[in-house]
Amino acid sequence: MFELDVATRHIKSRRRQTLFSVIAVSLAVGIIIIFMSMMGGYTSILIDSTTENQAHITIMPKEDEDYIHLYHGLENHIYDLEGVEGVSSYFQGEAALQYKHNAEGVLLYGINPEDENRVVNRDKYMLAGEFTSIENPGSRIVLGYKLAKNLDVGMGDSVTAQIPGAEPIDFTITGIFQTGTPLDETMAFVNIERLQDLYRSGDVITGMGIRLSDPYASEDLANGIDRETGYDAISWMEQNAEILTLLETSEGMVYFFYIIIFGISGFGVANVLIMIVMEKMGEIGMLMAMGTSRRSIMLIFLLEAAILGMMGVAVGCILGYAASAAIASIVIPVPPEMYFGMDHLPIVIEFKNFISASVFAMVINIIAGVFPARRASKMDPVEAIYSV
Amino acid sequence: MSEKYIIQIKNLTKIFGDGVEIKALDDVGLNIEQGEFMAIMGPSGSGKSTLLNQIGILDTPTSGTILLDGVDVTKMSDKQRSVTRNKQLGFIFQYHHLLPDFNALENVMMPLLINGVKRSEARKTASKMLEEVGLGDRMKHRPNQLSGGQNQRVAIARALVNKPSIVIGDEPTGNLDSKASDNIYELLRRLNREHNQTFILVTHDKHMAAKTDRTIQLVDGKICEDSRNGNGD
Repeated sequence: MFELDVATRHIKSRRRQTLFSVIAVSLAVGIIIIFMSMMGGYTSILIDSTTENQAHITIMPKEDEDYIHLYHGLENHIYDLEGVEGVSSYFQGEAALQYKHNAEGVLLYGINPEDENRVVNRDKYMLAGEFTSIENPGSRIVLGYKLAKNLDVGMGDSVTAQIPGAEPIDFTITGIFQTGTPLDETMAFVNIERLQDLYRSGDVITGMGIRLSDPYASEDLANGIDRETGYDAISWMEQNAEILTLLETSEGMVYFFYIIIFGISGFGVANVLIMIVMEKMGEIGMLMAMGTSRRSIMLIFLLEAAILGMMGVAVGCILGYAASAAIASIVIPVPPEMYFGMDHLPIVIEFKNFISASVFAMVINIIAGVFPARRASKMDPVEAIYSV
Repeated sequence: MSEKYIIQIKNLTKIFGDGVEIKALDDVGLNIEQGEFMAIMGPSGSGKSTLLNQIGILDTPTSGTILLDGVDVTKMSDKQRSVTRNKQLGFIFQYHHLLPDFNALENVMMPLLINGVKRSEARKTASKMLEEVGLGDRMKHRPNQLSGGQNQRVAIARALVNKPSIVIGDEPTGNLDSKASDNIYELLRRLNREHNQTFILVTHDKHMAAKTDRTIQLVDGKICEDSRNGNGD
């Protein structure tokens, strides 16, 4: 294939231009791989922390009802559904917690800690004490570390809960948790039966959390529960629709930038090729005189674009990998509650990112090569030969 | 010499320009025999190169026909023209037009590779051709490492390597001093005699034209003189 010979010689004979266009392509590929790794890391940490920290499906009372009655049957039914790993019924109420002169409004969750742990692993987030300490109906409470700080309380201290329509009642702090989310400031857990008693609600719940083996199956399953039971089942995706839409929008925006970055590198390649075509006019004319078809002339310059692209892609992938790995290893001192409990930039280095950045770059490069290649192939051989 | 004409040109007209029209060739008729060694002469702008480019099917006429070996090349598709140029025609220009990034051997191999000949075979044929033009010891040299005369020899080897039936040269010695010119002329003449290929050379050099078999004079796109020089076999 003499076309490849001619293409490689052209590139070899123009080292400086080759170097610059390879730098342009490799920078574009490298930057995009870093972007993709960061976006991927950001997305996965956001989704992981969302699916870790909340129930995959939450069942709420029917419309116009405040409670789910006779929930034990529903609990058993849900447990039997495929893919369900845990079910936790809860009774939720608003209350004010008071310690000396400090008072804070909280969301009190009455739960069975064993069930709750199967839906969201609360044990994992305990700073002090045991989550299971509220297993038995008693005046024990587990609260968020920020809430504890705001109230200026510690383990073993006694806080007074003010519940609308009930006598103030004292709870002993037997656990403090930290999730790295705003819940640390507003959430407290007590035993479910204890809370039901205080609210004099009888054996009812205000909601039920479900954990699935596959978080992405939650949408379908929630719809199924919805239809089957008449209760309002909400998937985590529905609950976090804003975050997911935001992620999608930002992904779209990022793709827009990718196109711009690749476009710029494409112009670099096109520029080098146009210069080669101008400089090699006589040579192109002579190749035509020797019987080279217009298709072969076109192929020569497309091959040059492809070779420049491949060199850039190879260097860019190495660059992108090295830079992503370097960024991933940097520890950043940020408050954990600001960034979902992260202490370093989230980077996910994925093979598919390298593939898509490379394919994208190659396609843009070849497109960039089309104009100069067409120009070369359309030359009038007589004009080309006598241009020298 | 065979009576069969390898080139038959009938009523060939070429008009250039949009707006102001210039008749570069005006109803030219010309028959050339196999193995002829001929010169085309004429003042600047008389249409010499235009005629040559028509015979070399690098350009298309406004009207008229050109038969190469009995086939009308003016009706050929772009692809057929490329194939015909590769197999039947060899070109030598005033400027050698060697590919500067390739050495002498690779340059001579190029028409064979374009024709799809295997690399090893192309190398063998090309080196034989280079030896024939007296450059057996310069095969690995690039054009910038060779003299003007040597480069022109490489260009001749390249023009002849595919064994074309017609070789056209547009002032092949125009860039060379008289000694180198003579050498090139002798080389072309020898190759013409050895291979019985048809040579058509455009030249300004009367001395050189006189040594060919036949000279045609072009003036304003018309053949005004067609003479045999008595140098033939």
